[in-house]
Amino acid sequence: MACRAFLSLCWLACALLAGCGERSEKRTVTLWHQMVPRDRVMLNQLVAEFEAANPDIDVRTLYKETEELRSGYQAAALAGIGPELIYGPSDVMGTYHTMGIVADMSDWISQDEAAKFVDGALTYLPDLKQPTRNQLVLLPDRFGNHLALVYNRNLVPNPPKTTDELIEFAKAVMVAPETGERTNRYGLVWNFVEPFFAVPFITGYGAWVFDDSGKPVPNLDTPEAIAGYKFILSLRDEQKITPQNCDYETADSLFKTGKAGMIINGDWSWTDYLETEGIDAAVAPLPTISATGKPMLTMISPKGYSLNPFVSPKAADDAMKFTLFMTSEESQRKFMELVKILPSRKVLLDEPLMQSDPTLQASKAQLANGRIMPVVTEMRATWDAMRPPYQKLMGGSANPGQAAREMQANAERGIELIHRKDVPETAAWVWQLAGILICGGLVVWQRESLLAFLPDMRKQPFAYLLIAPAILVMFATVVFPFFYNVVLSLSNMSLTNYQDWQIIGFQNYSDLFNVEVIAGVTFAGVLLKTILWTVINIAFHVGIGLALALALNGPIRGKSLYRVMLIIPWAVPAYITALTWRSMFHYDYGAVNLLAQTWPITWITESAWFVWLCGTAPPYNWLGEANLAFAACIVANVWLGYPFMMVIALGGLQGIPQELYEAARIDGANRWQQFRNVTLPLLKPVLAPAVTLGAIWTFNNLNVIWLVSNGGGPADQTHILVSYVYKAVFNFYRYGYGAALSMVIFAILLAVSLLSLHKTRATESVYS
Amino acid sequence: MNEPRALTIFRHLFLLLFAAISIYPVLTVFSISLRPGNQLQSTDLSIIPENWTFTAYRQLFTDQPFLRWLGNSMIVSCMVTITGVALASIGGYALSRFKFVGRQATMLAILTTQMFPATMLLLPLYIVIAKLHLVDTFLGLLVFYVSTALPFCIWQMKGFYDTIPPSLEEAARIDGCSQFGSFWRIILPIAVPGLVITALFSFMTAWSEYIVAAQVLQDREMFTLPLGIKSFQASMSTEWALYAAASILVSLPVVIVFIGLSRYLVSGMTLGAVKE
Repeated sequence: MACRAFLSLCWLACALLAGCGERSEKRTVTLWHQMVPRDRVMLNQLVAEFEAANPDIDVRTLYKETEELRSGYQAAALAGIGPELIYGPSDVMGTYHTMGIVADMSDWISQDEAAKFVDGALTYLPDLKQPTRNQLVLLPDRFGNHLALVYNRNLVPNPPKTTDELIEFAKAVMVAPETGERTNRYGLVWNFVEPFFAVPFITGYGAWVFDDSGKPVPNLDTPEAIAGYKFILSLRDEQKITPQNCDYETADSLFKTGKAGMIINGDWSWTDYLETEGIDAAVAPLPTISATGKPMLTMISPKGYSLNPFVSPKAADDAMKFTLFMTSEESQRKFMELVKILPSRKVLLDEPLMQSDPTLQASKAQLANGRIMPVVTEMRATWDAMRPPYQKLMGGSANPGQAAREMQANAERGIELIHRKDVPETAAWVWQLAGILICGGLVVWQRESLLAFLPDMRKQPFAYLLIAPAILVMFATVVFPFFYNVVLSLSNMSLTNYQDWQIIGFQNYSDLFNVEVIAGVTFAGVLLKTILWTVINIAFHVGIGLALALALNGPIRGKSLYRVMLIIPWAVPAYITALTWRSMFHYDYGAVNLLAQTWPITWITESAWFVWLCGTAPPYNWLGEANLAFAACIVANVWLGYPFMMVIALGGLQGIPQELYEAARIDGANRWQQFRNVTLPLLKPVLAPAVTLGAIWTFNNLNVIWLVSNGGGPADQTHILVSYVYKAVFNFYRYGYGAALSMVIFAILLAVSLLSLHKTRATESVYS
Repeated sequence: MNEPRALTIFRHLFLLLFAAISIYPVLTVFSISLRPGNQLQSTDLSIIPENWTFTAYRQLFTDQPFLRWLGNSMIVSCMVTITGVALASIGGYALSRFKFVGRQATMLAILTTQMFPATMLLLPLYIVIAKLHLVDTFLGLLVFYVSTALPFCIWQMKGFYDTIPPSLEEAARIDGCSQFGSFWRIILPIAVPGLVITALFSFMTAWSEYIVAAQVLQDREMFTLPLGIKSFQASMSTEWALYAAASILVSLPVVIVFIGLSRYLVSGMTLGAVKE
């Protein structure tokens, strides 16, 4: 009876679930965008206007975070679906274009219309098949995305014109005017993590990312660039006007709370500052470098709409209708008024608002000191090449000369890897034949168990009936993806062979040991770190979890309260707590460092032997130093993991008959002996699956490493195998390489599990 | 037997220490949610910030379809829990009690499904989901979540059944119970702590997952909570207060579920009656 009720409940639920996917009759245009919350308000308003004018079209907008939009769109395009339109800055266009996942929009834009846009705003890229023909890949609704100086008028009355003035004003911010004492304010802050924010400094000394040939050839190791980096370091180390460490969020928080006089940030952030209470923010162009007399140039790029090439002509027409509406003069004017962002149409640059609004004026002045960011794939490779050495420079483990040299070397290698031609060594049928032979071989090898299978099934059908549904569900989702990856690992799928990939053989496997996709990161090093990561984590998870379960087991006051508090790390989603841990490890404001400097903990942390052991007294540079960053990741993950083990152990403890303890006591066993001889053996069958699976999950735990160390930082020195796979695939587009690496991970885990299962006999019952 | 006083004090100290460690980071999340003006970091260590405000919580319910997301998440998580517990409780039983051909291989095969890095399975999985027209349905999500939760659940249930002496069923069978009857009436009630863990785990798997959900669900109306929360996050303009407030609210149901279930977890039927 209960069984039937349950089944009908299931059917009902399935019917409900399936029914949710119904679609309306209207034609839809789907847009994936990455507009900030304020922009979304205007977007929704304009969408409503458009739908009112075009009642047969339904526009669905979906916000996606930058990286999610990129990876999500690439996957969707490969599957032949996805939104009609995507919206974002032009910097990803180079990669999309190379992958063949953006359409040419020039049929919808006449020559006259195109002439109405600011020079460089419309993004054209050469047709891959006919290089003489240009394709319009992005139709912008704004132009800028550039950096400028935002200053708090309460602290800095007038914006600096030169960097000498900047230093002078910054120093004035840092002392209290009445007493002349040092305050906890900083003169200037900006994001130290992304090299995008360093570009104005190096351009102020006359450097640029590419050489003058007009081709995207990186030119990062120049005396001018080195002078720029030296200047950045001097601001921090000699003038001491910036914090020691500063990422985007720190800079943002410091400025918003009035603890920083000036911030270098992009046009997307300005209106937020203008409206923050307690500060009086204003925007100004970046100052001139006093040593060279040159202005600090910022990179500029258009932002706008791109069309998915895999949609029907009718859908493309609808999508373009919407795009033309959104990039029209009226729509852009509305955005300009609300979010103070420069338009992409020339005529709007001469609006009265442009003259009257100080923010727009400053923005326009900075735009004149800007250089358009190249949209080619080489630009992305250049950013990837600059980031680690720049982080090393800011972390103190490289000097400007070394950093510049490393950037150049990384960029050259990265670009070479993008353009490497991976061609098949043997014909495709050889591989297909090999696959069939391997499968056949397996069948022949295992023929005895396969033959024994059918009679056994007839003998005890009940057992098979019980296990079959679970097996079916699990393998339904795993089998195809797994074999897809096996094939992928033998293929040349990458940025340049995204849709037309083919099987090339074992190239990717040999690349694992011969090619560093991320500079300075070797397979052996990452593997070692992964093993360390897994062992330490599991030891702490089980150790702490078991200890807590034992402490909770048996009568104790406040038991249920303890239990709930201890479960909390598991209950709160890891994607927020991991970020919380990251901020707890912050150099200046993180709770961990502050705690380490508080009595009575200083009794340990500042004692001679501990300082000798750590090499330094607190504060520790948790996120800026490779080993400490790794330790920080481990601490965060231990915290996330012990409640789970505690719950398992608690459950297991309940299953142990009290009589066994009584018997043990009668035999004169003390507490330790009871634990050793009764508790542990009886917990084993319950803990074994949790430990085995826990080890596998920890080995493959991407989230914590990624969020706490910010993508393997500093300078890609905190990777474990999975985060390395993720980076190789989603940042460097080495799909084949990532699949091969995943196969190796799979093989390692399989071998270790087989070995440990064999040793511990975890699959066996204690009673058998 | 009474335990020594020193041991009781030590237990309390140990539990207090870890309780503090457990809740402190979450308190900082709570603190972020009360902060005006979207800041992740603060130079101020106090839990209740200056000018604290509940605006973020109010906005969640007034400006954002938070309840809709909560409902979606509830549907998906409950379905995953029911399916997961049902399949794991019978599957684990088969693995624990029957020596069928390929039993060892099955157990290993179940484990192997967890060994391949999930990020690499996403792309092909997405292609399948797209081809089967399961985009924007909960069904695709349901199957994936159940299959993610099952390996642990099955192993866990098998582990629990292993601690129950087979003599119990033998006695039931002698008394005239059917094969299924002895499982349903005798074994399952004893394995309640295991079922609770399995249920909690299945629920959590579905409740906090967002990577696959982000691929499958494209319609904002269909979003589950984690997706909704993630939509407050942008690379350079995160609405931290909303993000934190939603994270606090999203963990409440888990805590409630846990409190509700922990009764069984702790006083699960003991095997006192069993004499080996």
